Amino acid sequence: MSINKHAYQAIEAVVGRNYITDDPADCEGYRSGPGGYESGTGYERVMTKIAGAVVMPRTTEDVQKIVKICGRFGVPFVPYSTGFYGPRSHPHMEHELIIDMKRMRDFEIDEKHFFITVQPGVIYSQIQQECFEKGAYVVIGGGGAQTSAVANLLNDGWSPLSFRVGLPQRRILGMEVVMPDGEIVKMGSLADGDDPFWGEGIGPDLRGIMRGYTGLLGCLGICTRMAIKTLPFQPEIPKPSGISPETALQLDPKRVRWINFTMPSLESIEQAHIMIGNAEIGGAVTKVPVFWRAIAKAECKEDFWDLWLKETEESVSNFFLVRVLLIGYTSEEQMDYDYHVLCDIIEELGGKERRTKPSDESWFKNADSAGMWLMTGSYVSVDYVMDTFTQAFKQGPNYRDLKAKYTPPLMPDCKDLGWFQSCEMGHLGYYEYLIYWDQREDTNGMDQFYVESAKMNIENGCYPALLGAHQPLYLTGPAYGPGYHEWILGLKEVFDPQWICHPPLPLAHDEFVERAEWMHEVKNWETPEEFPYPEKLKENMRLEK
Amino acid sequence: MSVIDKKHPERYDTPKEPFALDIENLSNFVYDMQHCIKCKGCYWVDHTYMPGMKHSVRCPSNLWKEFDSYGAFGKMRIGLKLEKNEIEWTDHLLELIYADPLCGACDVGCKRNLDLEVGLTLEALRVKAVQDGAGPLPVHKDITSDILETGNCYGAKKDRRAWMDASVKPAEKADIMYFVGCSSSYENTGIASAVTKVMQSAGIPYMLMEDETCCGNIIFSVGLVDEARKIAEKNVEKVRKSGAKVLMTGCAECYRMWKVDYPKLLNIRTEDLGFEVKHFIEVAEEALTEGKLKLVNPVNQRITYHDACNVSRNCDPWEPYEGERGWMGTVEPRLARRRGRHGLYEQARTLLRAIPGIDLAEMPRMKENSLCCAGGRGTKQAFPELAEFAARDRLEEARYVGAETVVSACPWCRSNFSETAEKDGEKTGVLDIAELLAMAAETGEK
Repeated sequence: MSINKHAYQAIEAVVGRNYITDDPADCEGYRSGPGGYESGTGYERVMTKIAGAVVMPRTTEDVQKIVKICGRFGVPFVPYSTGFYGPRSHPHMEHELIIDMKRMRDFEIDEKHFFITVQPGVIYSQIQQECFEKGAYVVIGGGGAQTSAVANLLNDGWSPLSFRVGLPQRRILGMEVVMPDGEIVKMGSLADGDDPFWGEGIGPDLRGIMRGYTGLLGCLGICTRMAIKTLPFQPEIPKPSGISPETALQLDPKRVRWINFTMPSLESIEQAHIMIGNAEIGGAVTKVPVFWRAIAKAECKEDFWDLWLKETEESVSNFFLVRVLLIGYTSEEQMDYDYHVLCDIIEELGGKERRTKPSDESWFKNADSAGMWLMTGSYVSVDYVMDTFTQAFKQGPNYRDLKAKYTPPLMPDCKDLGWFQSCEMGHLGYYEYLIYWDQREDTNGMDQFYVESAKMNIENGCYPALLGAHQPLYLTGPAYGPGYHEWILGLKEVFDPQWICHPPLPLAHDEFVERAEWMHEVKNWETPEEFPYPEKLKENMRLEK
Repeated sequence: MSVIDKKHPERYDTPKEPFALDIENLSNFVYDMQHCIKCKGCYWVDHTYMPGMKHSVRCPSNLWKEFDSYGAFGKMRIGLKLEKNEIEWTDHLLELIYADPLCGACDVGCKRNLDLEVGLTLEALRVKAVQDGAGPLPVHKDITSDILETGNCYGAKKDRRAWMDASVKPAEKADIMYFVGCSSSYENTGIASAVTKVMQSAGIPYMLMEDETCCGNIIFSVGLVDEARKIAEKNVEKVRKSGAKVLMTGCAECYRMWKVDYPKLLNIRTEDLGFEVKHFIEVAEEALTEGKLKLVNPVNQRITYHDACNVSRNCDPWEPYEGERGWMGTVEPRLARRRGRHGLYEQARTLLRAIPGIDLAEMPRMKENSLCCAGGRGTKQAFPELAEFAARDRLEEARYVGAETVVSACPWCRSNFSETAEKDGEKTGVLDIAELLAMAAETGEK
């Protein structure tokens, strides 16, 4: 294994011998899966490889030098922050270098102008506490408190806290990126000095190239620094309490409260989202999958199934709950006013307030996405849809019906409609569909479902988040472009003509469909006879076969 | 037939796999290793308690060396290869497996959200190293020889009761048997004296074990389970014969051995030992609550309490388990996972707060989020630089909260902190909780 010997020595000279390894055991420790996000899938089995070496740079200049060395010796590399994003953030080629960013953990906060500047080794829960202490908060992505804020915002970034500033790309104020050729580019307002107050910089907004609607998973360079918008919070710092696993943040109910409401119908939930958004109150409005409630109540996996299997399709389809977060941003009086407005809305819609714990277990600081693996051992969010309210809302039944065809291997969920929430104060609907399975089963159906969901979105005219690198580019590109795939491939050609930055992305899912026989039966879209890889990459791929 | 089977008899046919919580067969933990999701709950402080940019990590090994392979999540992946014998043992691989104090931070971190047996897997990896003829490390073999030859882990030839002076007055027969342990018998003798002083001050009779020898903590921890089992059998038998109702330790490592690992080695439940296992802080706290122990002498210090792993997250009682894993990974019969809930978190704090003049400051990493000093379980002997690194990090944290003294309930922590502080010219004081209680306790005997 390892990487090119001369490249290794040159990189060792940059970071020192303690921060680079090609020891087989160390590289094994970086294996994608077999557990984790999207793990145990065909994509992982077919597409991921053990790293040839791992390096841990400390500075942007280290990264720049490493990338240039990789370019000189043709060593493919993938940036890696926390490694939580499953197979797509792990090597896809033999002899590939993992550039592990965890030592890059500089953090600065500008409390006056409400932004932070971080390196990729900084995770959300760290940021959240630092923000709390300065009267601010940050939107912790659903990916979890343990994720790198940089990586999460490059690829994802949604959560119930997105209610006020929903589009994650709008929270990126600036980026410093080492491009695949080793050049350092500053984007957003970081392009103009070091004062990233605004999201836009000089000229076109280059953040779109790195992230776009969702990310390119590190195939267009490495973000080494990001300025991120924070939001004003109230002054009381939530206090942690309890012994694990029963830990929670205690909230001051005069300033922060989660409140659950039982609603009479699905339509009333949709209306509640719209009306609360229109009233411009609150910090989050969400309808979560019913089985999440069972996860929250369960002591263990077996408990979950005991609870969940008491449910029926009828009981789940008749359970209507809206969860609202109120924040007294400016005062107790404002909180009181918002509460009364909220109660008026709920009353008008025939809803009823339920007793709700005065604490936060899941979103402010913990975002315990790890709990998603409790039920079955394997999980992926098959799609996120950001669209008009009506369009996003109708995706629930669509996914429910499609999923039924693939259950099993997917877990029986009593036809739950998934997760829905309001973003941008009700101007956008967010829909996320999560699937769960046991990776020890035959999971081919899961792989097919993933691609079938993209086809369903195209057919229904829904705008999903998982475009580009997450799905076959030749499937989604022509549908969402036109020519979206050509634009992406054009960018790749311009900025990474050697395709050394996380190859074969952005065509990795296309490649998977070609390589995995069980995917051929669902492939009904056009692809070129040969993917437009550079000759050297083609040769390496041939050698690997 | 389970509820699941009844509801979906035809749809899911996952074969049931037998497994046991038996660390002598790594295959028992394949499911756990396969289902690690790399969330790094094993590494970070519980996010609810995350203190910010500083003091945010609770895994000493992965803080010391930052490649993923040093974290539990990395070892889960390596473990799968070892289970299939698909990776060769090398010196470096042995370092990955042994440069780890088995402090349980990873286990409680994982079990906050999931049901995976990370702690047991790490123990099983060491047993596997021994089974394969690769482990333990040379220094561990030397210690084992010393224990088997001299009955103590230092290889000391002197009398184990040399610490006792005239003021120490154990009873011939008592409900409580005080197991002193190697460290307090030879190295931290002040702790043994302090424990007996407090017991006598509270008027609680105690006896000592006749011909006390090492509890076998290091032998067990490095994977030598056969040798450890023999020690367990012998020691348990001694207590049973003595008629003691409570086996009390003043050492966190001994406490975990007696309460958790002896039952594990003997394949019995903790409650079936035939006697209760208590740490001194439990006995002292009960005495305080009952009014027997009076803490009257002021100790005017700002202190902080370091939760030693083995009186906190590592000491839930043991229960043997054999069962089957089936659909969606569910197990039958029901398994009560050890999640670190039964740690002695409050006992020590209650005692410390009761001392007049004490100003107790909590460190950001406390209770189940505590950073292990890496001084125990054979870690310091094999990797002194890791133990120093972790102790240094913890001493810095104590300074960060303005503490003059770090207090713990484990002589191994005390030694590691003291030695590191001395080496660094560090001014922060180090005490065992027994020593502090002895200072504060009413003098004279009841």
